Amino acid sequence: MRQVKKAVHIYTFVLTALISSLIGCKDERKLPILGERDVVKKTVDGKEVVDTVYNAIPDFTFVNQQGDTVSEKIVEGKIYVADFFFTTCPTICPIMKRQMVKVYNQYKGNPDVMILSHSIDPDHDTPQVLKKFATDLGVEGNQWQFLTGEKEKIYEIGQQHYMTTVKEDKTADGGYLHSGAFVLIDKEKHVRGMYDGTTEEGTQKLIADIKILLDEYKQ
Amino acid sequence: MTKPAILLLFITTMFACKSASELKSEQYFVEGYQLYTTYCANCHQADGKGMSNLYPPLVNSSILKDKSAVACIIRNGMKGTILVNGKEFNRPMPANPKLTEIEIAELVSFVSMKWGKDSLYTPIEAVQTALKNCKAY
Repeated sequence: MRQVKKAVHIYTFVLTALISSLIGCKDERKLPILGERDVVKKTVDGKEVVDTVYNAIPDFTFVNQQGDTVSEKIVEGKIYVADFFFTTCPTICPIMKRQMVKVYNQYKGNPDVMILSHSIDPDHDTPQVLKKFATDLGVEGNQWQFLTGEKEKIYEIGQQHYMTTVKEDKTADGGYLHSGAFVLIDKEKHVRGMYDGTTEEGTQKLIADIKILLDEYKQ
Repeated sequence: MTKPAILLLFITTMFACKSASELKSEQYFVEGYQLYTTYCANCHQADGKGMSNLYPPLVNSSILKDKSAVACIIRNGMKGTILVNGKEFNRPMPANPKLTEIEIAELVSFVSMKWGKDSLYTPIEAVQTALKNCKAY
């Protein structure tokens, strides 16, 4: 009898340990900070300390589908998803936009979430063209912004900071080479996730991760 | 004994009949489906319903009644404003110069059987004739 009791005790202990570790894991579900990081040394209170500087999205100036000049201020205090496309793209963009609409519908009206779609063909994609595209896609308002601007600036921010492939390539269908990535950015401008915007799997992962990231700011 | 034999003969003939054009239709349908997924579904979507006001649907579109036009548009693309199921669309569709005549025949067969009224495939000869007489769409 005593042996049985002991066994039950051990069993209960193991079960409790298992459950708490599971819950513990769940609490720690945090997204990584992606991109190159630099280590800088600085002096605090007379002591030399090492600090890590993460890749962060720099300030920018683009023009949105309303024709307004916008800067990093539009995403201040918000998390956002960035991608790169062009309106005449015959290949992956329509899929990306179809998938992004799902993300948009999921977080529509949430003041903490935005979407920035950058055109990589700004010569063709003027604010008017982008406005028509947004309307035809069924997007109103300013939560999802379609940005155009100086080509070099768009390519630079895309390649170096959002870590996506953005290139002009006459041999590619439509004339541009670009990745189908959706990039998730936190309120500190750090890249917290990269997702394949051409797949349902990638899109669902992004939708789930946005929730995780939003929860980080709730405490 | 004779009854099952007659039945067997009947069934065999049925399948034999099928093997001629129905089997070819199935083959065109399957090939066409693959091509559709690669070249068309990005915009027109896998279910043929198009995408909001950006890309027109094929389902219920009157263009499916004109297979020569479908073949020409697949090959040469189209531009300008069109009206599909009461909605206006005006984004250009790119040309597909790399598609061969047989591939276009398979595509036309697929969309006509899937969303049009066809139950049989569209032969390559019909597509060849159509492509020789294309007007600008």
